[in-house]
Amino acid sequence: MVTSNDVHDPGDRSGLELPKSPTGITGFDEVSKGGLPTGRPTLVSGPPGAGKSLFALQFLVYGATRCAEPGVFLSFEGSRDKLASDVRGLGIDLDALEQEGRLLVDAQSMAREAVATGEFNLEALMVRMAFAVDKIGAKRVAIDSLESLFAAFSSRPALVRSELLRLFSWLEDRGLTAVITGERAEDTLIRHGMEEFLSDCVVLLDHRVVEEVATRRLRILKYRGSTHGRNEYPFLIGPDGLEVLPITSLGLYQRVNSERLSTGIAGLDEMLGGLGVFRGSSVLVSGTSGTGKTTIGASFASAACQRGERVLFFSFEESQSEIMRNMASVSLDLAGWVDRGLLYFHCERPTTQGLEDHLATMRRLVEAIVPTLVVIDPVSSLSRGTSKGDVSAMLTRQLYYLKSAGITAVMTSLTEGGNDLEHTELSISSLVDTWLLAITMQTSGERNRGLYVLKSRGMAHSNQIREFLLSSQGVSLVPVYMGPDGVLTGSARAAAEAVEADLGLGAEHESSQLAEAMELRRKAIETRVASMWADFEAEESLTARQITSSKKREQALRAARLEQGRQRTVKPEDGP
Amino acid sequence: MSSPTRVHAREEEPTPVRLQLTLFVSGASPTSTRAVRRLRDLCDRHFPSGYDLEIVDIYQQPEVVVSRGVLAVPTLFKELPLPVRVLIGDFTDEPRVLAALGLSTSKDS
Repeated sequence: MVTSNDVHDPGDRSGLELPKSPTGITGFDEVSKGGLPTGRPTLVSGPPGAGKSLFALQFLVYGATRCAEPGVFLSFEGSRDKLASDVRGLGIDLDALEQEGRLLVDAQSMAREAVATGEFNLEALMVRMAFAVDKIGAKRVAIDSLESLFAAFSSRPALVRSELLRLFSWLEDRGLTAVITGERAEDTLIRHGMEEFLSDCVVLLDHRVVEEVATRRLRILKYRGSTHGRNEYPFLIGPDGLEVLPITSLGLYQRVNSERLSTGIAGLDEMLGGLGVFRGSSVLVSGTSGTGKTTIGASFASAACQRGERVLFFSFEESQSEIMRNMASVSLDLAGWVDRGLLYFHCERPTTQGLEDHLATMRRLVEAIVPTLVVIDPVSSLSRGTSKGDVSAMLTRQLYYLKSAGITAVMTSLTEGGNDLEHTELSISSLVDTWLLAITMQTSGERNRGLYVLKSRGMAHSNQIREFLLSSQGVSLVPVYMGPDGVLTGSARAAAEAVEADLGLGAEHESSQLAEAMELRRKAIETRVASMWADFEAEESLTARQITSSKKREQALRAARLEQGRQRTVKPEDGP
Repeated sequence: MSSPTRVHAREEEPTPVRLQLTLFVSGASPTSTRAVRRLRDLCDRHFPSGYDLEIVDIYQQPEVVVSRGVLAVPTLFKELPLPVRVLIGDFTDEPRVLAALGLSTSKDS
């Protein structure tokens, strides 16, 4: 793991540092704190194909083009034409540099068989070097490689050794900064007992295969009189040649953009202050399997295409047609954007090539397509076959690169089951600006998707966990149901919402019904009142008649009694 | 077999090509002067019909050293007859020199 203080040696006495010659190799000058020791030879050792020749050549080309230090490249590894065509792909034009007198390439193949007929020496080696150096006033030289020289004169290793020592001391006398390449033997830095003479600065390049994936490493083994980063640094051979990737070399001077981009998911924009993410920022979507990470990535892509922007979609797990089909099911028409030339897919199994090559590919494609948005789905699969420290260091560099180019990066990352959700295995969470966490919520026999914003730098963002809905109508984020019974999702939320809706609808319905019922009732009552009145009146008239007849009977009775009283007179008149 | 001395091609022999040599030496160093002397002596004895020998001082003509890819001194190029052969060393191993110069077959016959 690369840490921030690994290049800071406590014994660092700046000011007493050796004069150094920058190599122009991205990252290496930071690790070596300025480059290679000026006026001294540096041994670059490693197995075949590790990038030694390229290291040497880049050192010379940088000196010639940027430091006004012409360089001589003495190669025994093949013809000049082959070398020129090999490096043309890296943007190095040997012919032009030679015509301008800034570089001199003396290259030959040692394949030719010579017949040895007696004593000889290698004086011509020195003559050639001196001739080349004097011709262009070289300040830098490279000899590539000791191995081929020893192989060509395999019968006389002692002679080769003594001639080389003569050459090295001549180089030092002339104050030339030299890179000498050699192959690493089993137990020594370099074969043929040369290491003791090349001990000022030793750089080891390695090219090893870990879990079937090739990875390149660089280490500064020795740097006499100087401090240097001591770790093994991953490096890659990209379109600009060698690139060493120390996390510490990242500068923080990218442009800041306050433009906001829609995420393509309405509910998500709302959660991110209503506007979405910043252009040129990096977005991480992490979560366990099946939480909809790819869909969120595709939504970002689709939204950018809708704005007429170009998008580059790296997929390390699914093929282009799989993604297009799957996203069509949530009505994201990626195929349409591909047809219109706005969306580009690059699908590759993570194990097809080494990590550094993947990142080199990404960079090449980014330069070729010039997208405004890059989706990497998922970054976590890049860590297969290589150490996580490497991946985070390289992703850091990649993010930095995208950021400095103003390209928005959307990465998905799979969190392995059982791991802490708010933790990315690649330790890149601290580098991203917006981190969305896709989760699953398991309640009442259901598994529902949820999404929340774990962080989003520089903007107000929602603290809600929203339910993430994928349907044939599209992708949406809905607020979860917050009721007296707590947070509800899925069918429970739907049910709760339905009940609430029912109630609302019922009340409205009821009031009108009630009004109607009251009207009816009133009519009924009025009818009844009318009939009661009628009854009453009937009763009243009947009663009146009865009263009349009763009074008549009473009068008749009284009259009869009076008659009786008159007839008896003895009995006094009494009350009723 | 015709002897190499009979250069007039009366018999239907392939046209003999005159031996053409380029020798790279370092100035007037004792090793170099000894090598030049030994080569001349050897050629005089085995190629009485004549040969061309060009001597290049690596310090005087470094560009030729570069263009011919010479590292060892002395280096001898047998330019003609083809194929080109490269010999390094001071010619003490005479049989190997002669073989490389194409005289081994005539010795066998």
